[in-house]
Parts: sequence; structure tokens; C-alpha cells
Amino acid sequence: MMHFLQWVENLGFSTWVRESGSVWSYPLILFLHTVGLGFLVGPSVAIGVRLLGVGKGLPLPPMKRLYPLMWMGFWINAISGFILLMADATTKLTNWDFYVKLVFIGFAVWAQQLIRKRVFDEGDEQDLVIVPRTTRYLTIVMLVCWTFAITAGRLMAYLGPVSGAPGLTNKF
Amino acid sequence: MLFLFHYIDMFTKWLKDIGLQAFIDHYPWIIPGSQAVHFFGLALLFGIIGLLDLRMMGFLRGLPIRPLTRLIPLAMAGFGVNVVTGFILFAGAPYMFAHNIAFEWKMVFILIAGINALVFLVSGLQHKCETLGPNDDVPIGAKAVAVVSMTMWIGVMFWGRMLPFLGNAF
Repeated sequence: MMHFLQWVENLGFSTWVRESGSVWSYPLILFLHTVGLGFLVGPSVAIGVRLLGVGKGLPLPPMKRLYPLMWMGFWINAISGFILLMADATTKLTNWDFYVKLVFIGFAVWAQQLIRKRVFDEGDEQDLVIVPRTTRYLTIVMLVCWTFAITAGRLMAYLGPVSGAPGLTNKF
Repeated sequence: MLFLFHYIDMFTKWLKDIGLQAFIDHYPWIIPGSQAVHFFGLALLFGIIGLLDLRMMGFLRGLPIRPLTRLIPLAMAGFGVNVVTGFILFAGAPYMFAHNIAFEWKMVFILIAGINALVFLVSGLQHKCETLGPNDDVPIGAKAVAVVSMTMWIGVMFWGRMLPFLGNAF
């Protein structure tokens, strides 16, 4: 397994991303990972606070159109994240904190999709006015999972094996 | 952009004098914790302001603007969280930020975003938009405000992410 990870990490592309020093390699991909976070978690939090009762004047049905935007953010991050993993395969894929992050993302997306089903696809008019209690619990689960996912993601620079180009810490 | 350096130096010295840097150094979890919260503040701010921007740019028709602008205080709360966590991050390692061109640009972009938001409010554009129906098009001035806002906030993320990579500090 370690051989495979080493092979991935030593691919020309992975090495370029990690060590070229170009602003268009590692820094740009990290930036895209941040923008993706903004487009995925941002609307998710907006829907979340609305479901918890903030901004009740906001009609829920048009908020369904935030889902494609969130999926765009999701795929930006899946792809940029995949590239970041390639560049540091031996260290990031052996970091337990990465799997913690992945589990929380999984739960957050799952909760987000359940909310879509319950509120936007199958919710009757009553559900759109008074949000059912189970949906509110689900919303809290989703927001907590995003918080933990973001925290675990940031802590990858501090926990487990040190990754990144020689001489560059990922601590900022 | 060099005009800011003088003030940043004074600020850095003051942080050292009051012992904040030493305090932050003493607790190794403060910096990572603040970074994580900084990203959540980002999501709160960008989630709400981005929503308003997209609506004014012509996407997301069907959303009335009045309830969206009512969420602005929540976006400001996200901004406040990021001012506090950003201050802590600066105070913990001022040498990383002072004289860093990415940091200066980040501050300038935040300033422009702030002025832009203020223009939206005091010009009466915000009030005009709030009286519109859920499917109405906003005035061209409001569209311009939305484009500037979106550009600046994505730019803030860009400069923030570039902090360790551009300039001389790291």
C-alpha cells in the first residue's frame, strides 16, 4: 500500500503541485478548495439558519435552487481535494484526521440530502411554514458536522504525519 | 500599498508590549482553533452575502430581497467572528503578516467590500431593492454592487489563502 502511495506522490503531476513553487500549483488548488468550501457550506448554512427559524420571511421553495450551487462547491472540493491528496499521498492518506474529516463530510452531505428530500421535494405547504422538529434536528446535525469537518480539515496541518513541500509548513 | 506598513509595524510592537503574543504562544491550540473558526465565519459571511449578491445579479429569482437583507446582521456576525479570529492569528505570529503583500491586499479588498456595502445602504439602493417583488430585476446600480461584492469576497479568500505563498514572510 505504501508503495502505491509513494508511486502516486512521485508522479510528475504530484511533484509539480507540491514542489514547483508556482502560485498556479499548490496555492491555487488550496484557494479553489477554500472557494469550494464557501459555495458548499455557505448556502448550506444559509438554508440551515432559515430552517432553524432565522429570517422567516424568506420563502423556502426558491432556496431549492441553492442545491446545484452547493454541488458545484462539492465537486470543486472533491477535485481540488483529490489533487491535494495526490501531492501528499503518503502523509495525508495515512493521517487519521483525514478520515475523521471525510466521515463528517459524509454525514453533512447525507443530512443535506435528507433535508432536500423532506423539505424541498416531499414537504407539503405546512412543512414549509412550520418546519417539523425532526427536520430541525437534522439541520443541527448538518451544521455540527460541517463545523467538525472544517475543524478536522484545518487540523490536518497539525495532527499526524507532516505533509507539504520541504520547508513549507501547512500551518497557515 | 506600502502606506500600511508603518501602521502594521506600530500595531505589531503594541501586541508584543501587551504580552498577547506570549499568551498565544503559551497555548498551542489557540492558533489552529482560531483558523478552524475563521473558516466557519467565512461560510456564514459568504453564505449570506453571496446569496444576496447572486439574487441581485439575476440568479435565484423567486427569493424576495427584503428577508435576505434582514439576514445581513448574521453575515456581520460572521464577519465579527473573523475579525476576532483574524486578530488572534495576526497577534500570534505578526511577523508572518506584517510586510506581507497578500495580507495588505486582503485588507484593501475587505475595505472596498465594506465601502461597497455602505454605498449600497446610503445610496438608497438597498431600500429600493427591498421594495421589489420576488421575481423583479434590481436596478443596474445594485447589480454593480453585487458584482463588486462577489469579486471582493472571493478576492479576500484568494489573498487569505495566498498569505503563506506570496511575499517574503514565510
